Amino acid sequence: MKVKVYGADLTAWVAAASLARAGNDVLIEGPDTQLAKPLQEISALRDEPGLLYQIELQMQEGRLKRTSSQDCKTNIHWLALEHNEFHLAQAIISELANEVTENLLIVNQCNFGVGATDMLQSLLNEAANQVVVYIPNNLQEGKALQGFSQPKRITIGSENSWAITMTRSLIRPFLQNIEHLLLMSSREAEFTKLAITGMLAIRIGYINELANLADQMDVDIDTIREGMGADPRIGNHYLSPGCGFGGQNFNQNISRFSEIFEKRGQNSLLKTVISENEIQKELLFKKLWQHYQCDLTHKTVSVWGASFKPGTASIDNAPSLKVIDALLAQGVHVRVHDPEALGNLQQHYDDHHDIAFCNDPYDAITESDALLLVTEWPEYWSPDYERLLQQMRMPLIIDGRNIFDREALEMYGFTYMGVGR
Amino acid sequence: MTVDQSPAWLALKSHAQSLSNKHLKEMFAEDPQRFAKLSFSAAHCLADFSKQRITDDTLQLLIGLAEQQQLPQKIEALFTGEHVNTSENRPALHTALRQPKETPLVLQGVDISKEIHCSLERMEALVEQIHNGQWRGYDGSPIKTVVNIGVGGSDLGPLMTCRALNLFTTDDIRDIELHFVSSMDGSQLARLLNQIDPASTLFIVSSKSFSTIDTLANSNTAREWLVNASGLPVELISQHHFIGVTASPAKATEWGIPEKNQLHFWDWTGGRYSMWSAIGMAIALQTGNQNFRRFLAGANLMDTHFRTAPLTSNLPVLLAMVGIWNINFLNIHAHAILPYDGRLEHLPAYLEQLEMESNGKCVTLTGEKLNYATCPILWGEVGPNAQHAFYQLLHQGTESVMCDFIAPALRYQGHGDELKAQHQLALANCLAQSRLLALGDSVLEDAANAPSHKRYRGNQPSTTIMIDELTPESFGALIAMYEHKVYVQSVIWEINPFDQWGVELGKQVATSLLDQFSNPTTTTDSSTEGLIRFVQQQRQEAGS
Repeated sequence: MKVKVYGADLTAWVAAASLARAGNDVLIEGPDTQLAKPLQEISALRDEPGLLYQIELQMQEGRLKRTSSQDCKTNIHWLALEHNEFHLAQAIISELANEVTENLLIVNQCNFGVGATDMLQSLLNEAANQVVVYIPNNLQEGKALQGFSQPKRITIGSENSWAITMTRSLIRPFLQNIEHLLLMSSREAEFTKLAITGMLAIRIGYINELANLADQMDVDIDTIREGMGADPRIGNHYLSPGCGFGGQNFNQNISRFSEIFEKRGQNSLLKTVISENEIQKELLFKKLWQHYQCDLTHKTVSVWGASFKPGTASIDNAPSLKVIDALLAQGVHVRVHDPEALGNLQQHYDDHHDIAFCNDPYDAITESDALLLVTEWPEYWSPDYERLLQQMRMPLIIDGRNIFDREALEMYGFTYMGVGR
Repeated sequence: MTVDQSPAWLALKSHAQSLSNKHLKEMFAEDPQRFAKLSFSAAHCLADFSKQRITDDTLQLLIGLAEQQQLPQKIEALFTGEHVNTSENRPALHTALRQPKETPLVLQGVDISKEIHCSLERMEALVEQIHNGQWRGYDGSPIKTVVNIGVGGSDLGPLMTCRALNLFTTDDIRDIELHFVSSMDGSQLARLLNQIDPASTLFIVSSKSFSTIDTLANSNTAREWLVNASGLPVELISQHHFIGVTASPAKATEWGIPEKNQLHFWDWTGGRYSMWSAIGMAIALQTGNQNFRRFLAGANLMDTHFRTAPLTSNLPVLLAMVGIWNINFLNIHAHAILPYDGRLEHLPAYLEQLEMESNGKCVTLTGEKLNYATCPILWGEVGPNAQHAFYQLLHQGTESVMCDFIAPALRYQGHGDELKAQHQLALANCLAQSRLLALGDSVLEDAANAPSHKRYRGNQPSTTIMIDELTPESFGALIAMYEHKVYVQSVIWEINPFDQWGVELGKQVATSLLDQFSNPTTTTDSSTEGLIRFVQQQRQEAGS
């Protein structure tokens, strides 16, 4: 099939690459500024494992092309725009309404909020099979390609049978591992999408709150968490306490859902979760501050992990930023390592004179007064403890993701602090 | 020769006699151009003196008195740092606090303009640190609540301005919850400490001398609260939860505030003239550094007007001289401050201190006893509320009272019509009251037929001060206008407006009485002794 994808960020490129890989002829249309850039310079592509390779491959095969032209006799259009580009979606659809007068399928994957798909549909003539379908964007940064091509669940938000049939055939190649294929109205699908994100955030917020309490009550949150997870009504997912969550999509979706509550005059649990999460991001700094009795002058502090989660180079809303900001404000010399995010971090801090970007994790801990583990990249889980002891000025480890074993570390002679234990 | 024997004074006296039977309603009837002739504008402010019991001649004679008292030279002396505060032998340079950085002012070989801006920039850096969430409490939390502890000038000015400018803020600043604590008895503090989180609370201790007992008592209580909540040593708490704003660095250091958390001002800044210095930190915290600078710029605009405009069109001078006329020639000794804008609710309290502490004096600069009236009794309230309280006395009581009506012409621009209508309602009331006070019931057709308890005699003088819109600039200008008015009156009365010896002795006597509560002797008077015994008796009964 011929498909045209609209958008410039990760979601658009993942959709384009995956649809092309499945044998479709795909055009991707982004803004002219992006079109002028070589693929290697688009950070969304660089940060996502395997994506750039797949795109280049599909381009070589001739199934994926970049374009900026409006001409298009294609019948299937895939919108993966930013949440604040609703006006752009309206413009695209208005134009298509005139150009493709019948059998026009538009898949809307954008997070425009509840009711947006209906508003877009109102620009079209449904009787002539001009239909907008909503498919929620379940993209997980770091696992985006796999998430798109082998999803466990897909929701199709539409009540038009022609459109549902068309959509099914379009996504058919991706249904091998499917457990749930849900059909509902686009409005309900949009609401469900936000409801899921909100629920996950509330779970994380709650376990973090419990961890902070556990800290003060001399119990180990890991044990508590195991106990909670064993209850089948609760389960183990999204129950790991830590120093806050980040990422662009997750944060954006929760904030926007929370705004919907506020607009309707309802107090929202989510609002509290969001503000508490911002506080949680400073947790490691606070522990360090208290350990050194409110005085961090002339200290050197190492940070392991800067991306908002392992497997991505993205630092959007990352806890590391808040920690580093707080350290720099106290005049601390910061040495940071991250396997992938150093470039983004360097750009963000614009070569601040008090921060060293280290390509080797052990370089980052030289003469350090504390090691803060912010992102749980796999290579940090089992470090060379002897080397840490040798190189650090003070053997203090503050573990924001509870990846280390307290007893083992204390046996080596470290001072260890986790989150809630 | 004292001023009340001087030719200019005597001329005014006889002029007053010739006008004594003239009612304001006649003055308005005789001259339709009254407003045009007797209202003046400068630096965002319009002052309408047409509802004062004056004529063109009165103004001329008043200016004559000002000239006779060498007012222009005295104004210059104020600005250039002469020792206008004679009893303490120092200048009063609040005007320097709002001068642009580029304007040098050399005092005993030192360019104080540099020092002033250095202190201001240090304050701005601390404000920025707090706004950025990078001032940390004892557990590492960013500061969310700031409590200003101060009394008198270290409280009234910042409190008034924070309330007046509460709508002014810039997008890039974090919301800081701001509180003011002044009362010696701890009642404000006790209530507040139950509501706020110690780890994210910062106290600004504002005291020129850093020995004001009211302020230190509150600061000690605050520090004890923090020590108990944190379990940390007092030194650590003093370092991370207190900023000291003072002209006595050594005393602040002694109390435990490290040098880096101190902001300084100078002995030539009077307490009631100090909110333009780092004492205004609370204002900058609430409105942002930029708006604080706008506030200073507005005051500077009025300063320049005061220093350069001819006396005949000089707003602070005219405001002062009309006051002199009322007090010394019409024998009016009560002055009501009536803002018609709820944001100015603390202006009356501020002006009470500014005027009464400055000019509530009875000896001349050379130490001679005066035999003419000086500062009247000032009080006030937000006008529309006062209408339901003491306006009865203004309209039908036996006292003559002069009033200042103060209002912004514009308000709620960009808001809905309902709020705009509310402002118009307030303005209509403001104008109605001043009209009625001036003209009495002659504004009605057949008032003379009403029973006497429904009659309004009128002839109560008032000034209406309108600012274009309440902004940091216009508010700064308004306050500077009153400051200079006070100075002008002091020049006429030949008194020192910059000392306050009348508040000293009470502090000493209080200190000496402290012991009497546990160990009473009969060295006081029977009243004091009897009251102390009553307290003791109550304590015994309460078992404490």
